[in-house]
Amino acid sequence: MPTPPIDSAELARFESQADQVAALQQHKQQRFQLWVYVSWVVMFAFLIFAFSGADFTIGPFRITTISLDTEFIMTYWEFIAKGVWLTILLAVLSIALAMVLALLGGLGRLSKFPPAYALATFYISLIRGTPLLLQIIFFFLALPQLGIRLPGLWAGVLALGLNYGAYMTEIMRAGIQSVGVGQREAALAIGMTQPQIMRRVVLPQALRLVIPPIGNQFIAMLKDTSLISVTGFVWELLWRAQKVGRANFRSLEALLIAAVFYWIITIMFSAAQGRLEKYMARGERTI
Amino acid sequence: MSAIVRVEGLNKYFGPLHVLKDIDFEVAPTEVICIIGPSGSGKSTLLRCINFLEQPDFGVIEVGGVRVEAHGRGRAYRHKIHELRLKTGMVFQSFNLFPNMTALGNVIEGPVTVKGMDKAEALELGMHYLEKVGLADKQDEYPSRLSGGQQQRVAIARAMAMEPEVMLFDEPTSALDPELIGEVLGVMQQLVEDGMTMLTVTHEMGFARQFANRILFMDNGRIVEAGPPAQLFDNPKDERTRDFLGAITRLGSHE
Repeated sequence: MPTPPIDSAELARFESQADQVAALQQHKQQRFQLWVYVSWVVMFAFLIFAFSGADFTIGPFRITTISLDTEFIMTYWEFIAKGVWLTILLAVLSIALAMVLALLGGLGRLSKFPPAYALATFYISLIRGTPLLLQIIFFFLALPQLGIRLPGLWAGVLALGLNYGAYMTEIMRAGIQSVGVGQREAALAIGMTQPQIMRRVVLPQALRLVIPPIGNQFIAMLKDTSLISVTGFVWELLWRAQKVGRANFRSLEALLIAAVFYWIITIMFSAAQGRLEKYMARGERTI
Repeated sequence: MSAIVRVEGLNKYFGPLHVLKDIDFEVAPTEVICIIGPSGSGKSTLLRCINFLEQPDFGVIEVGGVRVEAHGRGRAYRHKIHELRLKTGMVFQSFNLFPNMTALGNVIEGPVTVKGMDKAEALELGMHYLEKVGLADKQDEYPSRLSGGQQQRVAIARAMAMEPEVMLFDEPTSALDPELIGEVLGVMQQLVEDGMTMLTVTHEMGFARQFANRILFMDNGRIVEAGPPAQLFDNPKDERTRDFLGAITRLGSHE
């Protein structure tokens, strides 16, 4: 859609050329934003319409849309919604564990001490070499065979945390490596020891850099918590949706409800992530 | 007077490259030494070997009575290097201030973290050195909000706050815009007047001529010629020194 320029009368209100250029630029940007919003609304309306149950004819065409069981939705949405907190709790605990493991893994990957390097690379290879779903089932089904019975939540956190920790190791390593060698030299020159340099100089700078990518991992993990539903031991969003869906032969409605909740959670955390990134980009400050 | 810095038989290799060849020299307390020479001649490496930012391959370094051999292993050896670093302060070409700390935070980092000094005492000490470099009003600024000249002055205060016996300057003004060089040289001049022992790798021939007690001219990993500025600048004996000085005057450096 061609953008009609601001008319010259409107432009003339600005005195300097610089202000006119700025006004034009802002105008362009606003139009772009506006069209993005309009398109979103249209697509969203279409999605709602597709599930509206409307059934009518226009001339020779018969329009049929998907009809949902509203009574089921009204009865069970609350039961499914109760899984939201467990989903978020799972993700928060798992990302915390993953960050600790990733930090240790990242330090190990950069270590000159062979066993530390070996341990880190072994861990990464093992976890990345096997499917996440297998790892989750392993913690719920294989461990009990060895007499180790973890509460469902903790088994889930352990599986997800271990898996994400391995992938996030590379993020941590990159963050640590991005702190210039000059920083270490300056710290050595005033007599700091390696652990002091890590704690006071390198990690504060590295963590600032890795927070945005770790935010991305967290948002991905929010949805991967759903994999834990297959074990049947953790009543999170997807497990609840599947349970009531199957019991009432209303899986379509139940899964849609769960999908809506995942979507809302993701939008909320993405917005928070965006703000965090802006804050972090603002300047040099410690976290 | 006995020497405060002794470098004996120092040799350093980067892979097959022999960058420092049989370096021997001594520095007396309060002496100001400027090391000059063409790029790649080993000036910076020599300076960095003195506080073991580069591990020498052969030889002995002694600073303030702490003698460290080029080779060694284990805790006792590492502790000696640590002790030697406490006797030296270093200022880098690219400042290397910690961006996650304020100007004052940078200055007190060493006293607090390394020496375990009481925070209040360290703050007082830190302010003293920030005042000395003329930046007391910038105590709460982060390095990203300081000019290059201001950053380098904070870096000098950071090194001085450890109260070293010898200061090492590695091309302290080379990364600065010309109009900012003066303020850093001014701070260095003040240190000279306070009687600080200084080793400076520099291209600032004006500073070297005015304040150095001795100039070391290096070429190809060796100290080719050493002497007081008047002798070395006005009456160089070695042909390589003459070539180098000829080249930089032709290029019109800050004489």
